[in-house]
Amino acid sequence: MPAEPKLSHTTAMILRAVDAGHSYGLSIMEVTGLPSGTVYPALRRLERDGLIRSQWERQSIADAELRPPRKYYRVTRPGREVLEAALERYPLLAKLLPMKEAEDA
Amino acid sequence: MSVVCRFLLRFASLLVPRESRGEWLAEWRGELWHVRRHALAFCLGAFRDAAWWRREAGSFPSERHLWPRSAWRCLLLLALLALASVGYAWRYHIVLVMGADGSLAAEHPVFTALAPALLALLLLRVGTPLALGEYPNGRDAPPAFARARRWIYLVAKIALLMPIVYCGTLDLSSLVGAGRIQAHALIVAYVLAFRWALRDQRQRCPVCLGLLTNPARIGMASQMFLDWYGTELICARGHGLLHVPEIPTSCYATQRWTYLDPSWKSLF
Repeated sequence: MPAEPKLSHTTAMILRAVDAGHSYGLSIMEVTGLPSGTVYPALRRLERDGLIRSQWERQSIADAELRPPRKYYRVTRPGREVLEAALERYPLLAKLLPMKEAEDA
Repeated sequence: MSVVCRFLLRFASLLVPRESRGEWLAEWRGELWHVRRHALAFCLGAFRDAAWWRREAGSFPSERHLWPRSAWRCLLLLALLALASVGYAWRYHIVLVMGADGSLAAEHPVFTALAPALLALLLLRVGTPLALGEYPNGRDAPPAFARARRWIYLVAKIALLMPIVYCGTLDLSSLVGAGRIQAHALIVAYVLAFRWALRDQRQRCPVCLGLLTNPARIGMASQMFLDWYGTELICARGHGLLHVPEIPTSCYATQRWTYLDPSWKSLF
């Protein structure tokens, strides 16, 4: 059985941000306060490890808003399991980054 | 600003492997469109991301991979560089070296090469420790000849670096249109060259002079109290281990070598 990856605090924070509904890089930067040079490589690593999955926005949506398409990230099932373990290790992350829906409500 | 940012992204994309470059650039451009403040700082992060892609693709060789592991190959490469730089300088800058106006360079060309080197050594002593580390003289230590070989290698390396630096600076100064050799550039180049020579010497096995491999971090500062932490490197031929402290302390001021006795041979 493969060992469960242990995330650093920063990576766990980024994974939590994606799980909380911040699904693109700039939004994650804004909510975590981390620079782009930290957020994007961390997203690559998480995707490489299968903890998140990326998907391009449909071109028609971007065209309708007269802007280039964005790449969105979602947490996978293994990613959620790893995140739960990380939240036990870093319990303040859940309070620091509440779910987006709850925040909006 | 937009043009500068787009240029930076394009420039950073050159680091990304060709097959992923288009998608990488599209993502960064897509995000840049939404950035309202600190766009330049945002784009500078792209270089780190692009470097990650390059490393991940396995095509980002480090200095350790590029430089020859064997001491003799290292000397051969330095000798070729010295030959090329001296040959180029001799062919194109002989008038500059000898001096057409009866200057100091005309009368004492060796002095003009050696004086900045001596000054660089003094500056080097101020800025960086010159100690090469602690190598015990126990029963596992190599014979005197093998130990002398290490010093011969250091001297040969520095002897080859001097013409490379002197003639290389001469060649470069002519390429950038500086005309005569610039003394301050020569001193800086000597300091950098000597620093490299010491660094290379510290990372070599004292027995076979091969570059040490497999760096492994031992301990963490936050979890250690009055104990050693730093990096360990090993000789690929099994001659010993090098312990490099992360922060020099009174009990571990410099790197320390441990010779492995013959019982370890079966592992290598």
